[in-house]
Amino acid sequence: MIAGGKLSFAMLLGVGAVLLSGCLFSPREPEPPGAGVQIDYLPQSKPANVWANLEKSLEAIHSPGWEDNISLDEFRYVPDDEAANQFPGIFDGWDRSREVTFINNFYNSGVSITARMVQAGFVFPPPVGNEMTIEDIIYDVLVINDSDASEVRYRGKCDVIFRLEANKWYIYEWRDLQGESDPDTGQLLNTMGVLRGTFGS
Amino acid sequence: MLLLLLLVLAPTVGGAMSAGAQESETSGAEAPADTSAAGSDTTAVSGVSGLDLSNMSPLERIQALAELSEQGIQQQPDSTREAGPFFQGVQNVPKVGALANVRQYTYYGELITTLTFRKNSLFTNKFNWSWEEYRKQDKTVEKRDNKFTYGLGDNLPVKVNLDGSWNWSEDNTVNTAGYANLSKRDQKRVGMSANKLKFKTGFLTNSAKVSAGFMDQASVNQNQRNDLQEGKMDAGFQSGLDITKGISIAGRIYGTATAGDRALGATTSPSSANGDSLGFGVYYNKDFVLGRVVVTRSNFEKKYLDFKKNSNGLIDTVGVDEDQKVVTELETVDAISYEMINNFSFGAFGFDTKLTRLTDDLDYSQSGVGLRQKEHDVMDLTLTYASGRDSIAIGYDYLLKWDDQRYKAATENRGRQYNKARDYEFNYFRDLFRRTRLNLRYHEGLSQDIAENQHNENDKDRHQSDFSASLERTWAQKFRADMVFAYQQVQDFNIRESRSSNNNVKDSYEVSPGYDWTISPWLNLDQSYRVYIQYTNYSFSGSRKDDYSKRGNLATRVVVDPTSRLKITLRHDYNKRFAATKTATEASGSSFYSRDLNQSINRIEMDLRFIAAPGVTLEASTYRTRDDRETLGTSSKTTRTYSGELWVGAKVLRKLGNTNPLELSAMVRKYNAFGPSVTETSSDYWEADVWLKWGF
Repeated sequence: MIAGGKLSFAMLLGVGAVLLSGCLFSPREPEPPGAGVQIDYLPQSKPANVWANLEKSLEAIHSPGWEDNISLDEFRYVPDDEAANQFPGIFDGWDRSREVTFINNFYNSGVSITARMVQAGFVFPPPVGNEMTIEDIIYDVLVINDSDASEVRYRGKCDVIFRLEANKWYIYEWRDLQGESDPDTGQLLNTMGVLRGTFGS
Repeated sequence: MLLLLLLVLAPTVGGAMSAGAQESETSGAEAPADTSAAGSDTTAVSGVSGLDLSNMSPLERIQALAELSEQGIQQQPDSTREAGPFFQGVQNVPKVGALANVRQYTYYGELITTLTFRKNSLFTNKFNWSWEEYRKQDKTVEKRDNKFTYGLGDNLPVKVNLDGSWNWSEDNTVNTAGYANLSKRDQKRVGMSANKLKFKTGFLTNSAKVSAGFMDQASVNQNQRNDLQEGKMDAGFQSGLDITKGISIAGRIYGTATAGDRALGATTSPSSANGDSLGFGVYYNKDFVLGRVVVTRSNFEKKYLDFKKNSNGLIDTVGVDEDQKVVTELETVDAISYEMINNFSFGAFGFDTKLTRLTDDLDYSQSGVGLRQKEHDVMDLTLTYASGRDSIAIGYDYLLKWDDQRYKAATENRGRQYNKARDYEFNYFRDLFRRTRLNLRYHEGLSQDIAENQHNENDKDRHQSDFSASLERTWAQKFRADMVFAYQQVQDFNIRESRSSNNNVKDSYEVSPGYDWTISPWLNLDQSYRVYIQYTNYSFSGSRKDDYSKRGNLATRVVVDPTSRLKITLRHDYNKRFAATKTATEASGSSFYSRDLNQSINRIEMDLRFIAAPGVTLEASTYRTRDDRETLGTSSKTTRTYSGELWVGAKVLRKLGNTNPLELSAMVRKYNAFGPSVTETSSDYWEADVWLKWGF
């Protein structure tokens, strides 16, 4: 009888907290979108669209567009040796929450971005099954710092594993292989592993 | 007076200090995470390895000791080595092996030499060599590592350890454009540490640690050298006092200093670092409560050569004159952490509280980053109740963190970047009937990004609600069935007009019944069905069209063990899914969707495992997938795509000889794959892990 009373009290506490949560958990009212401001994300019906959405997210500095395209269940980032040596230990256990932290810190740092997530002529194969590995993608990201107008370019080659989770495709693993050269100057550039190392904690 | 004395005692650097340091070496021990008043984590870990040596063979014991020694962990005194002659034995364990996978081949060799002495004194040397050759990249890596440790055991009144390492590596990579880069490193390090744990002076229980080391590194990357020669000393002391039964106080002090020379590019300069940390804690374990209150303050200052960096801390040397690419940086860190943890339990009730605050100021004299300030506050509350067949857990977590920055040469801060997150979770478990368990879970969370003074446009809120109910029933290890229903709603709202066009609400539903049936000792059937439904509704009409998608998945697995040597697993996975876009909504609220995609995916898989002889197992696995897609719209398109894989292989594990056996372990598999994304290197390759080991 006593146990039943305590249980009722605990249940009541739980239900009361749920009701109270309506006040504590109300999101803010957003501003209506400005004229001409539109980010045309593609449906996540195939890996090519998912990868293209990252480019749209980068150029719009829109973190939900990045978060929506990386695996909700499990995400892994594997750096190239150069980035791993620059940031020892940082990439151990790099998962979705670390990736979300990285992209938000990066976007909130006051930057403008120009991105080309595939090299000219690269064609994604048609989707098949529930998992696909796309190899040798070369991306190119130019980051302009708004506060001091400095420009840093990142260019890397990577292998990416995509997975069909529930109803949509997501990036499950991003493995940077090596930095690529600046096509204009020939200088060896870093991969986005260096960006992750800088903004990931 | 006693308190004043204790306040001067030692903690460690903790995360706050190491966060600002550029090398892991600079951080000291962590503040204690348990209620032990006298013993920091570094010192506490010594002497507690958890290994039972008594059940090991002499070779295994030596190897285990070597592993522990390498990790810096001292074993509990081994009674077999307490007395006897000064030199008690030498053991060598050479090992050679090769690894292969879709990316690379690795060949390696290893030699562990262990010398044992009286009174638990131990010398271990481990030499490793490896050569990596990459299949897809024009890249080779050679590494040579040598590491030794020497523990004086119980020969001295304090624990003394000597250790040293020599790491050498060369990485040759040619990228797609033909740029060849040699990244090489040659690093030598030697160190000594001494500690004494839990010694008594009057009423106080103390632990002390001191260490010193020297590092010499020469490295080159992209034709830029990065060399250093530095010596380092650090020391820590902590003391604890049992005030009364169940209540203790402890204080800790830690200090570190480094000095030497560094060379970066064409510039050379002296380098130095020094830091200190103070901590004080109250620990209690009395009646219904258990917990601690700990305060730690850390300071750190480091002077070193660095490349010129922009306000985000990224190397920015493009277009900069050669003599200005490298700067002499002075980095300072000032951090304080507060922690209060309390666990209250009374009968069936439990109430856990955790409150923490961490503040951290990081200042650079040269980098464009300038001054960066952070604060991180956490509150976690958990209420639990368990009685009879019912148990409940209610949790509320709150996080408030912000960071601010004053760029180099700026006169004002840019404004705080806030992140607030709150989560509420309610869990209810009940045993409905015999072997039948119900679990209800409700979760609600809100995370917010807020830029003070709107210094960026990225303000956003994410509100998430989850509800799930699961029922599980087990029938005497023969049959188990479960059923899960889950609902989730996610509201993604960007607040500013420049980012809000994609604001949306996603509603997801999942129903997944399943069962696992052991039909006979040699036959098992496992089947599950899952339906996922997701609606996405965009907040601002005209920005994007709402959509709807649905997927059904039937997974079947049959495991057959016809004999103790043979195991066959068959799997079939059938998916049917479609995606649709909203075309109209009636005044009554009914919505109409137009299908964009119909898809069905069939995958069949078979694994086979056969023990051909003791220590020899033959294995094979294959799958084939068929993917039918029908894209609907102004012009419809139908495609059918196949993909598949087959591998065959064997595992061998043999010991040859009796007294000092030669051990052979080999796993070899040959892969062949096909499909639209399969490249030349991934269509035909070997996977292997083969090694040979001997102990003498």
